[in-house]
Amino acid sequence: MSCDELREHYELYALGVAEEPERGEIQAHLERHCALCQSGVQQALQLVALMGAAAPAAAPPARLRRRVLASAGVVEHHYGWPLVWAAAALLCFSAAVYFSGRERQFAEESLLLRRQLGDRTTELRRFQDALAILTAPGTTEVSFGKGQPAPPTGRVFVNPGRGVIMIASHLPPAPAGWTYQMWIIPKRGLPRPAGLFQARSDDTAMHFAPGPVDVAATAAVAVTVETSAGASQPTSQPLIVAALPAPGR
Amino acid sequence: MLLISAIGAADESGDFLRRVQRRDGRALAQLYDRYGRIVYALILRIVRNRAAAEDLVQETFLRVWNHARSFDAHKGAAGPWLLAVARNRSIDYLRSQEGRDRDLAVFDENARPQRYPAGETGMQFPERAALVKQALARLSENQRQVIELAYFEGLSQTEMAARLRQPLGTVKTWVRAALAQLRQTMEAGAAE
Repeated sequence: MSCDELREHYELYALGVAEEPERGEIQAHLERHCALCQSGVQQALQLVALMGAAAPAAAPPARLRRRVLASAGVVEHHYGWPLVWAAAALLCFSAAVYFSGRERQFAEESLLLRRQLGDRTTELRRFQDALAILTAPGTTEVSFGKGQPAPPTGRVFVNPGRGVIMIASHLPPAPAGWTYQMWIIPKRGLPRPAGLFQARSDDTAMHFAPGPVDVAATAAVAVTVETSAGASQPTSQPLIVAALPAPGR
Repeated sequence: MLLISAIGAADESGDFLRRVQRRDGRALAQLYDRYGRIVYALILRIVRNRAAAEDLVQETFLRVWNHARSFDAHKGAAGPWLLAVARNRSIDYLRSQEGRDRDLAVFDENARPQRYPAGETGMQFPERAALVKQALARLSENQRQVIELAYFEGLSQTEMAARLRQPLGTVKTWVRAALAQLRQTMEAGAAE
């Protein structure tokens, strides 16, 4: 078909309601970089996209902004505390070193702060490693909880060389004496523990399990509630199951 | 075609996207501050479920973050692209929830960033969006209904005919007339 014959179908195509043979013809023109059809379809797409402005106004909850930025690995105030802690610990450590020659007590504090700084540095490094997964090549991304009768919902990112990161919402903190435990569920064999974590007071959680993952041999990532010491195998029904897609999909 | 060109006019959000392409997190925050509300409203209108809408907003912006490199920020209009991605993800969710056919090849094609170049005039996103909204308001009830079924629910013309219990030919006439009227109304509006 000629471009002239297709012209009146551009908006139908952009809206997603064009029928054959026009839909296939437009697609073919676009694939061979037909300038007239490219321009016409682009203009129609702009028109159709802006129909979204007709949706009734609705204000997103404030927490959604933090969640969006965190999922993209953007550290704002919400997740800025590791850096603040590291800086504060460094400051305290420097002060402790300054006074250590005068007071034995300061020397002991110095040791303590050195350990804290080491812990914070390790924590910060883990946090940065976790964020790197989100944009690393080869990361598999799956959602969970969609369409389920009850929350939680969220996403799991699995990178074969780096590990697993889970971002969940609508997940209340586990009761006192209990904790959440992540599991890597292989296609064959027993679930492998992947760390303990707690949800935040705003019912969100982010857990990072570093280390290599054989994605092809993994069926799912799951979360159960366990006692605070954790378990070697799940003792309760999983609250979260994020099934990994079959290889090649 | 004057007005339709105006719809793709220079979009200052292109600057945000240039910085997003450089992995500047503050730019993503600014992009969210600017478009988060309209993206959320659109997605909520489609899926009608707040928890799902929040998930899909997150998915939309994450997709933009991960695909910004394929967007020509010097020429592109980020607002329409964002809305297209949001609609695409939401229709996919809606179809999966309703067990409907999920052949979304055209939707996926239409959400590619390369499909959203800016035009030649100086109209900004809010003006363009308002123009489309006014044009939709001027449609007849039947015309607006079929456009909303197609846009917000992702129904094909055959599915609309079944939903409305109208002959397919009638639905096709309404859709074509609505789109033609939208184009004409907006062209006239841009010329004013």
